[in-house]
This record gives sequence, C-alpha cells and structure tokens, in this order.
Amino acid sequence: MKLDRRKFLNTLLGVGGIGGILAVFYPIISFLIPPKSAEPKVNSVKAGISAEFPTNSYKIIKFGRKPVILIKTEDNQYKALSASCTHLDCIVQYKSDTKQIWCACHNGIYDLNGRNVSGPPPRPLEEYDVKVIKEEIVITKMG
Amino acid sequence: MRTRFFYLSIYFITISSLLGVVISGQKENKTIQSSKEDHCYSCHKEIDNLPKDFSENDIHRHANISCSSCHGGDPTSDDQEVAMSPSKGFVGAPKHKDIPKFCGKCHSNINIMRVFQPRIATDQVEQYYTSMHGKKLLTGDENVAECASCHSAHAIFPAKDPRSTVYALNVPGTCNKCHGNSELMKKYNLPSNQLEEYSKSVHGVALLKMKDLGAPACNDCHGNHGAMPPGITSISHVCGTCHVSNMEYFSSTRMAKAFQEQDFHGCEQCHGNHTVLKPTDEMIGVGKDSKCVDCHSSGDEGYTVAKKIYSLLTNLKNQFSLADAKYLEVKKKGMNDIEIGFLLQDAKQALIQSRTLIHTFDSTKVGAKTKDGIEISNKASLLAQKEIDEYYTRRNGFAVATLVFLLVVIALYFKIKDKKKKTEK
Repeated sequence: MKLDRRKFLNTLLGVGGIGGILAVFYPIISFLIPPKSAEPKVNSVKAGISAEFPTNSYKIIKFGRKPVILIKTEDNQYKALSASCTHLDCIVQYKSDTKQIWCACHNGIYDLNGRNVSGPPPRPLEEYDVKVIKEEIVITKMG
Repeated sequence: MRTRFFYLSIYFITISSLLGVVISGQKENKTIQSSKEDHCYSCHKEIDNLPKDFSENDIHRHANISCSSCHGGDPTSDDQEVAMSPSKGFVGAPKHKDIPKFCGKCHSNINIMRVFQPRIATDQVEQYYTSMHGKKLLTGDENVAECASCHSAHAIFPAKDPRSTVYALNVPGTCNKCHGNSELMKKYNLPSNQLEEYSKSVHGVALLKMKDLGAPACNDCHGNHGAMPPGITSISHVCGTCHVSNMEYFSSTRMAKAFQEQDFHGCEQCHGNHTVLKPTDEMIGVGKDSKCVDCHSSGDEGYTVAKKIYSLLTNLKNQFSLADAKYLEVKKKGMNDIEIGFLLQDAKQALIQSRTLIHTFDSTKVGAKTKDGIEISNKASLLAQKEIDEYYTRRNGFAVATLVFLLVVIALYFKIKDKKKKTEK
C-alpha cells in the first residue's frame, strides 16, 4: 500500500511536471510565433516598394482598423486618403481615366485631395501623409 | 508702309476698346455710392430710425455701399430736404412689385458685380421671373416672395455665412415663413406642412438635427431664384443629382417609361417627396409595406421579380447579421477582430450595392451582388467562429494548466511529507 502511494505520487509529479513545463512553454512559443494579425493601433504602415507600384494606379492598404487608399498619380506623386466613403462607409476606388476617387455604391466622387465633388458624400476623405523612405512607401497619420 | 498702318490701326482699336471698357465700368460704378460719406446712416442712427431689420454687418454696408445706392438721394448732404429730394433721385422704399428690378439694377449688371465678385452670377432676376414667385408677381400678386422676402432687406449676408437667411441650415425656416402659413397657402391651393414633413425625412434629420450641410435643403430640389415644383420628367434628375447610380439604373428600365406613361412621379412614387424616410427592404417584395404591390398583383412578372429580389436581399441581410453578431462576440471576448471587420465592411458594401441595384428591377443583377455578399459574410462568419473557438481553447487550456499545477503542488506536498517521515525513521 505504501509502495502504491509512492508510485502514485511519483507518477503524479512526473505527469504534472511535464504538464507544468508545457504550460510554461506554450505561451512562450505562442509569443515567439504569433498568429497572423494586424496591429490595431498604428501610426504608420509600410505600403510596398515605390518602384513596384505602377503609375496612375491605386491599392487599398489596411491601416490598423481603417482602410486607406494609396494612389500613385500620373506625375508619380503619392496620395493616401481614407478609403471609407463618407456617405455609407463603402470602400472607394481610383478611376484612372478621370483621375478621381469614386465610390461604387452611390456614385460619389472625390478629387485627388479627397474633396467631395459630386454625388451623396457629405464630407471630404481624411488625408494621410505619404513618404518614400529608401524606396519604401510609408503612410503615416497626419498631425 | 501699309503694314505699319495696319499695326497702328490694331493698336488704336485695342486701346480704344480698353478705354471704353474702363470708362463704362466707372460709369456703372457711379450708381454705387460709398457709405464712408454717408449722411443717411448717421442721421437715421441719430434719430433712431434705422430699418427694423438693419444689421451693421450687412454685406452691402461691408462693401461700403451707401443706402442711396438703392434708395437714391444725396448721401453727402446732411440736410434732409436735399438728401431725400426726388430731384436728387430719392425713391424711398420700393414697391413690392418693383423689388426684383430694384435689386437687379446692380445684381443683373456684370460690370458692377464683377468689381465685388469676379465669378458672381448676374441672372438671378432673369431666373426669378421664370419661377412661380416671379410669374405671380408679374400678374400683380402682392403676396409672393421677392428678393427681400428670402434675403431680408437690410441684414443680407453671403449664403455661406451662418447668419444668412439663405444659409443651408436656415433655408427651410426661411421658406417656411410663407409656406408654413396655412391661410396664405390656402389661396394657392398648396399644403403648409412641408417643413413638418421635411423635418421627419432622412434629409431633414441630416440637415436640421445633425447639422450636415451636405444634406439637401428646399432649394437643392426646387431651385433658388427659379424655384419651381419639379416636373414629372425631371424628378428622377432632381434626386439623381445626388443619388446618381439610382437614377442611372432607374432611367434605363422599362419601368421608367411605364411611369412616364402613367404620369407617375419617378422616385417620389415609392419614396415620397418631403417625407423621404430611410428606405427599408420591406419596401420591395410583396409584403404589407411593399410599394411594388401598389401596381403589381400575384401572377404578373413584376410581382414575381419583386418577391425574388426581396428574398435575395433578405438572405444576404441574414447572413450579414449572423456574421456581424459573431464579430461583436469576437470583439467582446477581446480576440483578434480586425480581419473580420474588413470582411464585414466588404459584405456591407455588397448589401448597399444590392439595395441600389433594386432600381434595375433585375433579379439577376441583384442576385449576382447578393451572392458576393453572402460569400464574404460566410468567410467572415468562419473567421469569427475560429476566433471564438480559439478563445475557448485558451480558456480551457488555462483551466487544465491550473489543475495540473494544483496537482503538482499537492503531489509535492505529500512527497516532501514522505521524505520527512523517511528521514525521521
């Protein structure tokens, strides 16, 4: 009986020890290999290599929780504006033929400075700052 | 020699024309007297006899335009007999019927107006006479609105100035001064509850409650100086100035032609005019709130299409709501919700676009968009479910780990006790 108790205790300690080691190492491993997730609060975002971004085109960048439209104009200038239409929050697009920002939901139109030009949008789009640092496009919040 | 004469002639003609323009401009501007040497203002102020609505910040006063520029007389004289003498052109207060022409003396003359605002329009009076107000005024109607009824007479501000009677937020109140007068409106067989109706509408709430200057006021649909009720054919164009896609979709349908043939008022037929409420999905379909059943009945093509479109929309709306509920749960549990948020934004966009596509009355087009939306909603739902499962895995894992540590501690306690007993022996 005494022997059984000791054996039981040793088994318990062994299993518990392994469990304890796992419980300690699991969060460490999880920290070292995090799940794929975007940073919720960001002040700047890298948006790719400048040379790989075609002229007179656009892409939508995830700026934390907010979508941002990054446009490379015909004269190779960058414009970054909030991509959420101020009417009903649809994602806007860049129209390379008219050089305007367009919302497909209700045909709202903004100019390249984000000013609402026609259609239902009541307000302009929020502007972001764009810099090219060592060939890399970096979008930052204004102010 | 002939060439030199030719060039000299061109120079002469050009200089003469320029001088002509300058002289004519100066001549025109002589009708405007400066308020700097204005005895009208100083005397009337002294005897406390300024007009009731007088404002020191009036746009004309700010531009140094004297009272005499409109009322005539000689502002340089401090003798009332001279200053207000008809021989000096004094006309006093204009008659109601003469006011548009009275203001038009300057406002219809680009040579005068461009001095103050180079891009200003000078067709206000011309437009006014095409309006219902202007037409009635010409027939001798003393009640209709003229310039001062809307702009005031002596407290005029630019339309972008919040103090102006025609500032976007003030327009409904300004129009309502007359249009809310039931006694007055009875004479014209017009209702007088437009402001009440408008205030409840999606436009009125946006403008008057939320102070959203992008929302339309009365003049955005009816026009300003040429104010008229929009005609049957122009209604969809009036609404279409803002709701462009809806107008484009509707105009290219068979329904648009049928509406015209039946004398139906385009957008107004389903959405109303002053009481345009936030549209609901129940407006389509065949339920009790449906607008389609006003004309379509069971068995006809329109009835079937309406039923189908409603079912497509409801399906997407349900899938979106399901995903949205899971998204809220993910957020509440403090799990990673960012990607789900982006997906739901896309799904919401598909729902909005599907609702706009209703105006095509084509279930195939609506169906294609709702299909996209459902796919995105399902993707968001799956991702949200994964996050919720992850939350429970972590919680259960924590419980198991706690239990394991507890058992280890207990086992260690007994082990140490055993060891002690052994050494004591």
